[in-house]
Amino acid sequence: MKKKLIIVLSIVFIFALTFTGVGLTTSHIVNAGEKAEQSEVLDTLTTAQNKTVQTKLKRWGYYTGAVDGIYGAKTKAAVKSFQRKNGLSVDGIVGPKTAAALGMTISGSSSGTSQSSNDLHLLAKCVHAEARGEPYTGQVAVAAVILNRVKSSSFPNTIAGVIYQPYAFTAVDDGQINLEPNSTAYKAAQDALNGWDPTYGCLYYYNPRTATSSWIWSRKTVVTIGKHVFAI
Amino acid sequence: MSEINQKSASNKSALAHERGENKRKNGAIIGLSIATAVLALSTIGLGVGVCVSQHNAMNYRADLENVYNNNFYNLLDSVNNLENKISKTLSSGSGSTYQRKMLLEASKNASEAEISVSQLPLSQSEIQDTIKLVNQISGYTSTLAEKMVRGESLTPEEVDTLEKIHKSVLDLKLRLNDFEKKLNNGYSILDRSLDVREDVNDFTRSLNSLKNNDIEYPTMIYDGPFSDSVVSSKVKGLSGKTVTKSEAAENVKKHFKVATDIVYEGETNGRFETFNFRVVNSDSERLFVQVTKIGGNILTISGTGRNGESSIDEKASKDIAIKFATDNGIEDAEVVWSDTIENDIYLNIAPKSGGIILYPDLVKVKVNMTSGTIVGYDATTYFTNHTDRSLSKGGLSLSDAKGKVPSNFEIVQARHVLSPLDYNREVVCVEVEADNENSTYYFYFNSSDGDLENVLKVIETDDGNLLM
Repeated sequence: MKKKLIIVLSIVFIFALTFTGVGLTTSHIVNAGEKAEQSEVLDTLTTAQNKTVQTKLKRWGYYTGAVDGIYGAKTKAAVKSFQRKNGLSVDGIVGPKTAAALGMTISGSSSGTSQSSNDLHLLAKCVHAEARGEPYTGQVAVAAVILNRVKSSSFPNTIAGVIYQPYAFTAVDDGQINLEPNSTAYKAAQDALNGWDPTYGCLYYYNPRTATSSWIWSRKTVVTIGKHVFAI
Repeated sequence: MSEINQKSASNKSALAHERGENKRKNGAIIGLSIATAVLALSTIGLGVGVCVSQHNAMNYRADLENVYNNNFYNLLDSVNNLENKISKTLSSGSGSTYQRKMLLEASKNASEAEISVSQLPLSQSEIQDTIKLVNQISGYTSTLAEKMVRGESLTPEEVDTLEKIHKSVLDLKLRLNDFEKKLNNGYSILDRSLDVREDVNDFTRSLNSLKNNDIEYPTMIYDGPFSDSVVSSKVKGLSGKTVTKSEAAENVKKHFKVATDIVYEGETNGRFETFNFRVVNSDSERLFVQVTKIGGNILTISGTGRNGESSIDEKASKDIAIKFATDNGIEDAEVVWSDTIENDIYLNIAPKSGGIILYPDLVKVKVNMTSGTIVGYDATTYFTNHTDRSLSKGGLSLSDAKGKVPSNFEIVQARHVLSPLDYNREVVCVEVEADNENSTYYFYFNSSDGDLENVLKVIETDDGNLLM
């Protein structure tokens, strides 16, 4: 009898939890609070800059934690071992010298001219959503097509305008655009922004196995890279 | 006695058994009713959940419908205004300030129309001509307005083109106003856009006025963005004999002596025609290399390098890049710009002619500082623009140019450059690099008349520097 009651009660409790979602959210708040406290003491960089530090340290094997932009104890320990290895003063703080050794610049907030590279992020997101799994050149080519569209008179004139144009990219329409891009997608986007274009001005690409539009087949093919046919 | 005792005992046990049974029955009933209650509660919960999500879905629907309607009405407004401004341009006196004002406003209206139309759920293939029309009108009218600032008035050909533009815009305007009546009678852009047949949705079909053979799209050639002349830029810098696939492969081998593997990857037949190869270099990096059919030149290399601590510094990277460019026929070149992003250094290299740096002939090289190898190369700009030019430094000396920079700037250096300005215009300038309040600027003074042609500012971003 007691057992039954316990079972029944726990079922009720689970339902209650599911409907209110209290359980999950509170634990999140607690966690974030703890982390915020830690970061207040040590953090002199922005979240984005911390992410860069973590990404680099992780890549070079100094850091094993999550790339979350929070300057926690793990990040500090990783910075310290990086400083030790590179003959810098070991204080666990990313100052100008450590930043330089990491290959990044921390621009003083006093100048006020630094701006976020939103174009790069957006482009990398679209490349990742549309062409992850493709060869590197194929990813550069997808980014180049987006930039060629920005320059073309037949398409919108901003990167956001081109990417978010209705029906322009399937991965934008189905929400894959919101996946976090990997470092290859960033590099491909960076190369395209620097002018690389292995397609020499193509405005379209499609996967011949899955493309349903008869119109797209009528465009002149320029090059095939990986699974994508690039056309003008 | 014993019998009675036995009886009563068995009676007792039967009673106890019955009681136990009753208890169990009661327990089962309670358990069942609780279970039923829970089930009922969860059903209600689920019902509420479904209602809420349906309510949410309806809200999202309404929001999206509103966004589409908003874009349509904005488009309608911009096209109405555009038609009005162009007709006023045509009816106001040539060269007047008022005419210039109308041209500028038309340009603004056309660019607003572009933004609205490209955010409507219209099938790509059907919408491009309209986007092109408004983009070109925007570019054309602003170029005419700039021309009038220089004191020139419109030529008869330009007036003729404007008249053609007016006719197209008027057509577009009438059709959009027609469609607006449908919208007022309950037409749903959202619903109709979900009804797709043969790649084209019903909304696009209802608005097929936008791509109708009756609308004439005039050709607009001008020195500005989106001009019909800019689109077809020809390749000037390629010469020599046409090479075969194996000769091209040999050429790749020459530049990657240590390459372990060279695999043919097909051709590219666009503005440039190339043979493509996949190369695995000395550092096991996979690179994609394109070699021009004419002349067998390496046109592009793309790839990524390793991550890790740098094995070479910036100076060594520059030497590697210059040597690679020189080996590929880019003579007398120097690094004019570099930027390090993570482990890669991007170097812009420009050739010189008579001491003048040729910016239009830029070559871009990416060197991985961990492995010390070339992982990116782009000579498309070079081969598009490179040609024998007879250039002179003009009358403006470097010190004259430095004197023209405002006094609150600290001069870093000055040099003669050939600068690509606007569209298809190359001008010899003195480039002065100067700092002001932590920012770096580049000033370009025309070397023949000393006019300030352009100013570029270095913008720092989280991921490198931009020149704007």
